[in-house]
Amino acid sequence: LSSVPLQMLFYVNGIYYIFYFLATLAMIVYKSQVFSYPDDFLAPDLALLFIMAILEVLRLYLGSKGNLTEEEAPLGLSLAITVGSMILSVYFLVWQTYVLQADVIINAVLLFTYGLESVLKVIAIAAFVS
Amino acid sequence: PPEIRAATRARTRSGPAPVTDVAKLCVCDLLVAQCDVNCCCDPDCNAADFSLFTTCSVPIVTGDSRLCSQKAAIYSLDVEANPPERIFKLIDQVNPSVFCIHATNYKQALSFSSPEMPTSENFDQLLKRFSSATFSAEPDSWNMNTDAQNPSDANETYRYEYGVPIQTADAFLRLPSPVVSSWCSDANPAGFLVNQATKCTRSVSVENCGNIQAVSMLFYINSSILAVNITVQSIVVQSLNGMRTLLNGSDVLRLPMILDELCINIVLGVSYHITYTGAGEIIEAAASFVLGAINKEALSIQQSFEISFTQVNTKPVPLSGNPGYVVGLPIRAGFRPQGYPFPIEIFFVALNTNKYSQLTILQSTSNQDCLAAQGARTPILFGYNMISGCKLRITAAMKCKPLTQTLLDLLKGQSFPEYVASFGNSQSQDVLDWVPITHLHTSEQRIYNTFQSSCHIPVSLEIEVKWTKYGSLVNPQARIVNVTASITTTILKQLPSRRERTIPITSSVVFTDISSPAEPGYKAWPTINAKLPFDFFFPFV
Repeated sequence: LSSVPLQMLFYVNGIYYIFYFLATLAMIVYKSQVFSYPDDFLAPDLALLFIMAILEVLRLYLGSKGNLTEEEAPLGLSLAITVGSMILSVYFLVWQTYVLQADVIINAVLLFTYGLESVLKVIAIAAFVS
Repeated sequence: PPEIRAATRARTRSGPAPVTDVAKLCVCDLLVAQCDVNCCCDPDCNAADFSLFTTCSVPIVTGDSRLCSQKAAIYSLDVEANPPERIFKLIDQVNPSVFCIHATNYKQALSFSSPEMPTSENFDQLLKRFSSATFSAEPDSWNMNTDAQNPSDANETYRYEYGVPIQTADAFLRLPSPVVSSWCSDANPAGFLVNQATKCTRSVSVENCGNIQAVSMLFYINSSILAVNITVQSIVVQSLNGMRTLLNGSDVLRLPMILDELCINIVLGVSYHITYTGAGEIIEAAASFVLGAINKEALSIQQSFEISFTQVNTKPVPLSGNPGYVVGLPIRAGFRPQGYPFPIEIFFVALNTNKYSQLTILQSTSNQDCLAAQGARTPILFGYNMISGCKLRITAAMKCKPLTQTLLDLLKGQSFPEYVASFGNSQSQDVLDWVPITHLHTSEQRIYNTFQSSCHIPVSLEIEVKWTKYGSLVNPQARIVNVTASITTTILKQLPSRRERTIPITSSVVFTDISSPAEPGYKAWPTINAKLPFDFFFPFV
């Protein structure tokens, strides 16, 4: 049986991620105007943000599909991608060029969401496998 | 080799490490090892000094306020206590904004970057990066690497600049001049466009008159100024008693020789005249000689040397300043030839090339009698106010009109000019550089009745020259703006016969400085220029 909490979490995650993406992009624009943000520090930050967006879309699609069709393969793939997304989130939390307080807050929330999702996915996979 | 490069990099000095501890930073600590007044963070102050302060000029020292949490040092004076004491607190300041910087991974984000220290390796590259237009210390012709160099410069005529020694085939054109003592030294080179006149003493005797090179004409015309030979313009022979005669043929070289126990054809004076073009080339050189003779008793002679430069196709006009008038040099003045107003070329004829007789006033003589003055005039020198005069003895027999004319001639001189040069170097072709002389007539007595039959004779001429300072504040140039010549007349009453009257006649020159005070000029306020870079949203826009 599909996990309803997991599906709800995917839905909330999707909405939250849109907000997160726009907020981070806006803050990078703000930082580049107010602080001294040379190009060779700006480029990796922007690139990673877009990569994270692509990974997120992929991850949510695969996870949602796996959960609804009760297959563990897409769900497992989604879990793997979640690890990547987590690393990227940690990057934005700790290793970004400028880490603002707002960055800390939204990344913390994102990490918490990922953590919760991972736990639910593992439970779902365990449920589907058996 | 890489080892030396690495060693050099290690040797490279960098600037002093920046101080970032807020407890140690003190902006108002300006005096070294002394207590600055009202500077609470100054480490050189002790408690006694603090008790004399009134306020703290620097109340708080913080790091970048955009950081979320930072240290701050707060200094304040506790005036309640007796004696007042300074309170120092080190606290953590928190920035409540949600956009405060939590951390940065970019080292130079919050401080100014230390500039790269120039070393001999990176100097050229730094110079290229940071320098703007400069004057080069070496003239381009010394740099062999430039492509636009013309290597056949050696055969072209040389171009001279002001003051550069004039080159001859072997060395420089020399103008002997006295050095330290009055004995001649042959090592003084003549500078281009530097008019010089020197006098010096040379020791000669009749016995070796043929051996001393410097008294022979050949010495002075032997060297050629590169492509130009020095021609002999004229020879004047001065006899033993000082009488000078101009020789007719001047192409004969007269060398010193002994004749009747005298040594003749000794060079007593040389005058070089160099003609140059506007581009700085010398195209002609001529020398005029004064040859003399010495007898057995003479041990030394005085030689005088002169060099003058004339531009080709111009008549030499002596300048009274370049460009502003120099105090003490005569005022340049002239006439405008008659003709239709604004003819194609208006030339102001300077009275004559004698610069001292262009604008003159009456010169007082010892006998003070105007009619016996014999036309002695003195030139008007810039900046020198002068007054002169004489006494006129009027007898009954004098008629009005001739007397008026005589006095006018006396006051104004034979040819009183119409225009005065506004700068010391005004050329006669530049019409706007010449200022017309305004004439005013005033009468000493107020004329109540306009009887034409009364005789008005001029008794005083006052020339007022208004000048202003022109140009930069550091080096102002004097420029004449206005010249007014006022003639004051008085009524001459008919004298009874055999009576005489003496009236004073005066003429004066006054120089008035009408320069307006300098005004300061300030730069415009800087404007803030904040825009997104043009291609910031590159993939999307």
